[in-house]
Amino acid sequence: MVVLAKSLEDRIDESQKLGLQVIKESEDDRLMTLNVGPQHPGSGHFRFTVKVDGDYIVYADPDPGYVHRGEEKMCEYRNFIQNIPHLERPVIHDSTNITYSYSLAVEELVGIQVPRRGQFIRAIASELNRQVYTLYWLAIYGIFLGHSTMFMWPTGDRELFIDLLEALTGARVTHAFNIPGGVRNDIPNGFKDRCLRQIAYFEKRLKEYEDIFYNNPLLRQRTEGVGILTKEDAIKLGVTGSVLRASGIPYDIRKAEPYDIYNEIDFKVQYMKTGDSFARSYVPFLDMRESCHIMRQLLDKMPESGEVRSKLQPNPKGAPGEAYRRVESGRGALGYYIISDGTPKAYRVKISVGSFRNMLALPYLLVGAKLGDMPSIYWSLNYWPVEADR
Amino acid sequence: MTSAEAFIKAIESGSKHLVIKRFTLRYPEEKLKFVGDGYQFDPKRGVGIAGYRGRHILFHDKCTGCQLCAIACEGIAEAIGMVKVDEQWKHNKKAIMPQIDFGKCVFCGLCVDACPFYALFMTDDYELSSFTKEHLIYTPAQLAIKPKYDGDVQIKIDERGATHG
Repeated sequence: MVVLAKSLEDRIDESQKLGLQVIKESEDDRLMTLNVGPQHPGSGHFRFTVKVDGDYIVYADPDPGYVHRGEEKMCEYRNFIQNIPHLERPVIHDSTNITYSYSLAVEELVGIQVPRRGQFIRAIASELNRQVYTLYWLAIYGIFLGHSTMFMWPTGDRELFIDLLEALTGARVTHAFNIPGGVRNDIPNGFKDRCLRQIAYFEKRLKEYEDIFYNNPLLRQRTEGVGILTKEDAIKLGVTGSVLRASGIPYDIRKAEPYDIYNEIDFKVQYMKTGDSFARSYVPFLDMRESCHIMRQLLDKMPESGEVRSKLQPNPKGAPGEAYRRVESGRGALGYYIISDGTPKAYRVKISVGSFRNMLALPYLLVGAKLGDMPSIYWSLNYWPVEADR
Repeated sequence: MTSAEAFIKAIESGSKHLVIKRFTLRYPEEKLKFVGDGYQFDPKRGVGIAGYRGRHILFHDKCTGCQLCAIACEGIAEAIGMVKVDEQWKHNKKAIMPQIDFGKCVFCGLCVDACPFYALFMTDDYELSSFTKEHLIYTPAQLAIKPKYDGDVQIKIDERGATHG
């Protein structure tokens, strides 16, 4: 857009003197359409179109689907165990949680019980993985608000949990650890001490995060009062996870419909009432702190020995019927709906992810906001494009 | 807290790190220490043994050529193919053993879970890069070699912070 030194009326007068035809500007000409993504790093593999009137966004249209992988269809051609490695690809840094609800649903169909120690190990892996995801998200959130220290620190501290998961599962990001029937292997020797030591250190680090990032007046000015999602709208739009909790609704799947051993764990659902960008970025931080608390309890209450995996035949058959189970992942409720027709392969698998639902709030929040506030609103939605596309 | 105090606190918390040793490790010289000797599986108990999931190791004296690892991999990565070997084993009449294409392998370890004869495990070796795709295809003879891995760096935590020792 050309910046004009003269006013519009002056220009029209000049043009008429020169004998040029003058076309008056319409409402549409005033608005400028901007494409954010899919190659711009500010959006991930995701495009949204915004129309701006000066500095204000008047229209926003999300356009997902650039990284659609057909996960649901792929599930129909593989047996229940072969599905595990490809299902974790949409969110490789939260891969334990995305296979958690799948395993729960398949267990319901096949009709097996996970041994008690296996349930604890699953929950530990799930909590560790939630930390890995949240730190990754926090790093991206930091860098898009121009705070490069907040990119470096969480990326570095993520290593603490990747290290623990590497010891536990044998892989750094794609763990393939949860399996229908339990977990792949028992915890290694010395894992508990290592875990407790690193959690204690991480809690110290969280205080520093608060000092440098969350209490920083610069961040507060950029995020407080920006993109407010009210309680009623949050329910109407169907958002989940930290976005829902930031709008003042203390809803967590771990508390609302406890799976495995979460009903024995004492924890608080962290929530805030303001519903702005700051609250949406602060709730995952509070969750990380709560997660440390949960992990300590899990390690404490875990039985000393016992089975971790119930035996399953190599090609398990699900009873004809359907199952729907969901867990709380880093981005909110993550559910699997599986229909089985009695064969070793699923008839239909539907994945319900938190990212897609949180994305639906994007056009609603962007309209009326300034263009400069776009990164803080977009990334505060805890959205992961690859997961939303499946 | 006023905003001036918050600013000072933020700068203070950042500047503390000027004197703390860096967290990162110097990779080719230093390598991470892993738990155990690589991922293994105990088919009798039906449960794995924790370890790093690097490239596989094949024990020729135990492999029967049953193809269960290749069948397990079929719907996952299709990285395992059975090939003829020039060896004479009583338990392997067909004389076929798995050959693994690490260009395709996703290192999920489900082939190890499928092996009922303790013949296929995984190792700590993760440095598999090569200049051509063909070099990533490991023949049974290559898979039999036990890799040398001497990583000894672990996260150390003291009062001043965390480092890679």
